[in-house]
Amino acid sequence: MSDLATRTAPVPAEPAEFPGVSISLSPPLARWSLRARDPAALAKAIGHMVPGKIGESAGGMLCLGPDEWLLRLPEGATVPMGEGLPLSVVDISERAVTLVLEGPRAIEVLSSGCPRDLSKFAVGYGSRTIYETVEIVLVRKGEERWSVDVWRSFAPWLWTGLTTAASHLR
Amino acid sequence: MILIHCPYCDDTRPELEFAYAGEAHIARPLDPSALSDADWERYLFIRANPKGRHNERWRHVHGCGRFFNAVRDTVTDKFELTYKAGEPRK
Repeated sequence: MSDLATRTAPVPAEPAEFPGVSISLSPPLARWSLRARDPAALAKAIGHMVPGKIGESAGGMLCLGPDEWLLRLPEGATVPMGEGLPLSVVDISERAVTLVLEGPRAIEVLSSGCPRDLSKFAVGYGSRTIYETVEIVLVRKGEERWSVDVWRSFAPWLWTGLTTAASHLR
Repeated sequence: MILIHCPYCDDTRPELEFAYAGEAHIARPLDPSALSDADWERYLFIRANPKGRHNERWRHVHGCGRFFNAVRDTVTDKFELTYKAGEPRK
């Protein structure tokens, strides 16, 4: 038996290209779910800036709720686990995969299943929300660039949903 | 689609992000073993079920994850207001 775990991607490794939008799988990321009542204590414990307002992001850290943050860093990064402190740092790197939508019509493709008004997302704003029936974490990375975190087992379905919506663009 | 204001996100979001969670302000008896069967039944199962203004719990499940309370009219389905969990009945 090999000691190495094998990671298989749940969606095609090749980007799906459509007129006005490309949908691709992001390289693997390290992810943490962070919970703390006191943002200042969390910032001190992990040595990372902690945005205080829901929806704000800073340096890979996104505020999801009043006491909840999602931290995404390049694969291999580490953060202190905050032992003995009243906070929770949980590695969830393999729970989700990230899809990247890029292009002027990416917003239309996402709107095919997401009920939010995406034109009101400022660059840097992110939120947990829903696409059809699947929970996603949607972040507007740039004017025409969006990242979608989705739980790994839902990823093939979301991939089919997004690529089908994109294939209907005309 | 109904839009619901989440008091934690301080933002108005589509109803698809939310889940209904029953009537609000039902406190669990401090000493259940001291209750009669009838009182225990009343706590567990008997609800106001009004026609009109109703205080109820909702959860922003596909958002910040928090439970909060709302006042909704059960006839028109209109949300009058929402407020944070733990605040007194409105």
